[in-house]
Amino acid sequence: MERIYIDNDMARFVRKDLTVVDMELADGRRFENLEPHRLFPVSVQDQFITLLDENGAEQAVIRDLKTLPKDQQEIIEDCLNEYYLIPKILRIRDFHERFDGLTLFAETDKGPKDIDIRILLKGFRMEGVRVMVRDINDNRYEIPDINRLDSLSRQILGRYI
Amino acid sequence: MSEKTTELETSAEYLQSGVSVDINPPFRGIKFISNKKLDVNDTEKLEQEIPPGECLQFVIVGDLNIKNHYAHTFLAVTDKHIYGFDEALPEGVEKVSYGQLKSARVKRYYGNAMLVFTLPVEEGTDKKKINFLRFSYTEANLFDAAAGYISAIVSGADMTEELAIVKAALEKQFCVCPKCGRTLIRPGAPCMKCESKDAVIQKLGKYIMPYKGILFFCLFLSVITTAASLAPPYMTRQLVDDVLPNKDIMGLVGCVLILLFTHLIRHGIGTIRGYHLKIAGDRIVTDLRNDVYKKAQLLPMRFYDNTSTGSMINRISGDSNVIQSFMLRVTQEVLVQLFQLIGIVIIMFTMSWQLTLLSLVPVPFVVIGSRIFRKKMKPLYRRIWRTWSAVTSVLTDTIPGIRVVKAFANEEGGMKKFAFRNALWLETNKKASRITTLYPHVVNFLMSCGSLLIWAVGGQLVIRDSDMVSAGLLVSFISYTSMFYTPVNFFANFNDSYQQFLNSAERLMDIMDAEPEHNFAEGKHPEKIVGKIEFRNVNFSFDRSKKTLNDINFVIEPGDVVGIVGTTGAGKSTIINLLMRYYDHYDGQILIDDIDIRDIDMTFYRSQIGYVQQEPMMFNDTIYHNIAFGSPTATVEDVLHAADVANAHTFIARMPDGYDTVLGERGTGLSGGERQRLSIARAVLREPSILFFDEATASVDSETEHLIQESIEQLIRGRTTLMVAHRLSTLRKANKIIVVDRGKILEMGTPQELLAMKGKYYKLVQIQTMTEEIKKAKEEERFD
Repeated sequence: MERIYIDNDMARFVRKDLTVVDMELADGRRFENLEPHRLFPVSVQDQFITLLDENGAEQAVIRDLKTLPKDQQEIIEDCLNEYYLIPKILRIRDFHERFDGLTLFAETDKGPKDIDIRILLKGFRMEGVRVMVRDINDNRYEIPDINRLDSLSRQILGRYI
Repeated sequence: MSEKTTELETSAEYLQSGVSVDINPPFRGIKFISNKKLDVNDTEKLEQEIPPGECLQFVIVGDLNIKNHYAHTFLAVTDKHIYGFDEALPEGVEKVSYGQLKSARVKRYYGNAMLVFTLPVEEGTDKKKINFLRFSYTEANLFDAAAGYISAIVSGADMTEELAIVKAALEKQFCVCPKCGRTLIRPGAPCMKCESKDAVIQKLGKYIMPYKGILFFCLFLSVITTAASLAPPYMTRQLVDDVLPNKDIMGLVGCVLILLFTHLIRHGIGTIRGYHLKIAGDRIVTDLRNDVYKKAQLLPMRFYDNTSTGSMINRISGDSNVIQSFMLRVTQEVLVQLFQLIGIVIIMFTMSWQLTLLSLVPVPFVVIGSRIFRKKMKPLYRRIWRTWSAVTSVLTDTIPGIRVVKAFANEEGGMKKFAFRNALWLETNKKASRITTLYPHVVNFLMSCGSLLIWAVGGQLVIRDSDMVSAGLLVSFISYTSMFYTPVNFFANFNDSYQQFLNSAERLMDIMDAEPEHNFAEGKHPEKIVGKIEFRNVNFSFDRSKKTLNDINFVIEPGDVVGIVGTTGAGKSTIINLLMRYYDHYDGQILIDDIDIRDIDMTFYRSQIGYVQQEPMMFNDTIYHNIAFGSPTATVEDVLHAADVANAHTFIARMPDGYDTVLGERGTGLSGGERQRLSIARAVLREPSILFFDEATASVDSETEHLIQESIEQLIRGRTTLMVAHRLSTLRKANKIIVVDRGKILEMGTPQELLAMKGKYYKLVQIQTMTEEIKKAKEEERFD
């Protein structure tokens, strides 16, 4: 079956629940209870958003969220914001290290958080200036631009990245 | 009696360490369990909301509010209601009764999850569910238990029994070190990883103990060479002050002979010492590598899921060398340098206490410098190691996979990746080199300044009052000063090797201290395994982001041939992985002949299982040894018989070197079907009671599949067999089919029953029959 790519105004969305929407295509086809997921949650935020039905089967893919009408964009963005929790680390106040275990005492856009990391494992992943952090419980955090952090935070991170 | 005492002590320790789940004072006189301590506000809220007469069962403290922000929230479950306390809710609390609900579950999002209640369908209302409380993955396992409890109570289960399951989940949380996330031996046990550094040195120190005799001998030799090295400056003073001014030829010859003797002693004994040290060092590193490798063999699959091959090789080769050289430095050099330092200081003080104090001036600067150096270097050493591991990872990925690289003409891609990672290593190394090369020069410069100070002050004293300080004394003193700075320099630089040692020790201890596969029932096993297999409420996840198996229940009778089918990622192979005991951290029970598999000696248990994988692993050894792998007592006839059963003997016999054919790494030189038949022969040789086939014929052509199928059919006779298969044709002999989908059992029964149901299995059969027909037609077309 050919994949349905959604661009511009070829679909209307109605928010059904926190992370769920109903979709009606321009040709009249209707799809219920679709959950938008990012196909590239780490590398791309607004493109290639898959719409999965209750059985996890893909019904369509939004090629680029920005091409959708503003109100439609917001509906999908709201769902994604509920689904994805990747707090942005704004500042690292302090750290505590003991062998492989590292605790970062961080300020995030979602509030203060003590992040426990295993250094030797996949704790940090750097892509250019962006740093993805994964804690011991598989929670994810993001530093969008390491150069924008204050010097203390950069100094602390510099020990491990 | 002694057993009782131990048990009591353990319980006391358990409570004292704050890991009990009864961490809060009783609520209205009744104890309840919780994952964290509640504060006064929480208790007040509970007092306000919970009416008298309701009994609080448990509380789970969460970490996110409904708006996805970090916040203190909590779930309170009583015998009548469920309360969700969250300041972000309009009322600050939400309350539901069991009667309002149909079920409860945890819906996992990305980095967060939600406790969701499903409501019974009622006319006139659209509301089907309640999004009750949000939390991060940190607490997801606990909320899973809570959801299980609520669902069970809604469907009429016994509260006390269900509460025990919640309690077990809460206790399990304390089995994980909150700092580094490693599994602890028991709740609240000290984490081996987070122990002090002294303990690490002690642990690694045990490797030098067997060689303490040689090391003491070497130390004794060192004392002699050190003492001998102190003589030349003294002789220089004699030469300058007495022998040369008095033109004493005999004295000169005597001095030269004494100097020759001291040099002979130093270098002769030094050679003997060096040889013995080398031997001891090599033995230490051999023992260490053996132990690390031995431990690596016993580590659970969970460890390897998170560790790259490159980093493992790096640890076993590079890190063990660093540790060995540090251990030798500690046991030899430290003491020698200390002796030398003390000896020189004594001699210098006897010569001139004023000049001795002057020579100490640079010492504080060297000490401060070493502290700064240590601080700067620690993260750099770690980064160097990490970048080097990344380089080795490319090697371990691409060299064994060179066929794929060439097939996809991706040599350029591999080269670029390697060059990029190598460049990163170079960059990091360059940064470190700047410091490591600068630091010793700074230290040496400071020490040279010390010598200059002695020249300046001592020279003046010689010029002004040669009776107080003679020229010979000054020259001799300068020599001793240079010698004095050698141990100072050594101790200043010692930090560098100490830092490298700590970094290496940290990585090696990651293996040495990692929890091995738990063999809870070592030595305990039934006489024979008959082959009944049972899964009871098994739940499993590799990490916290997704549940891989969800409430799996089935019984397989001895001798049954069971097919496990389902789409990719459904959890089929995970069932086999759990049965193989590759992972033990599942909830529920897996029983073999009504005994929990964790209560059977692991070696015995695995020896009773024949396991044939999709990609059979072959070793760089002869075909004979590859078949006899894991069956050391097998005779040649046994191996030949196994090869016969596996339909492998014919192709082996055709090979020029027959059973002596040495296979390349990972079995190169054989086709996929041939490798598979060797792995079946390997399984035959073990005479297992139970057989697992994991997609055994997935990657071979129809003809080879037929040959493999024949051998499998011979092998499974009378044995309990589980076959994971995509190709349903493989399951011709199966008398039972389990259909798995997204971690759950969807259908289960005889193939006839499932076909009659016209469910998922029926659909799979329909699809595959069509595909097989097309495939067959194409194959016939090709050979016509």
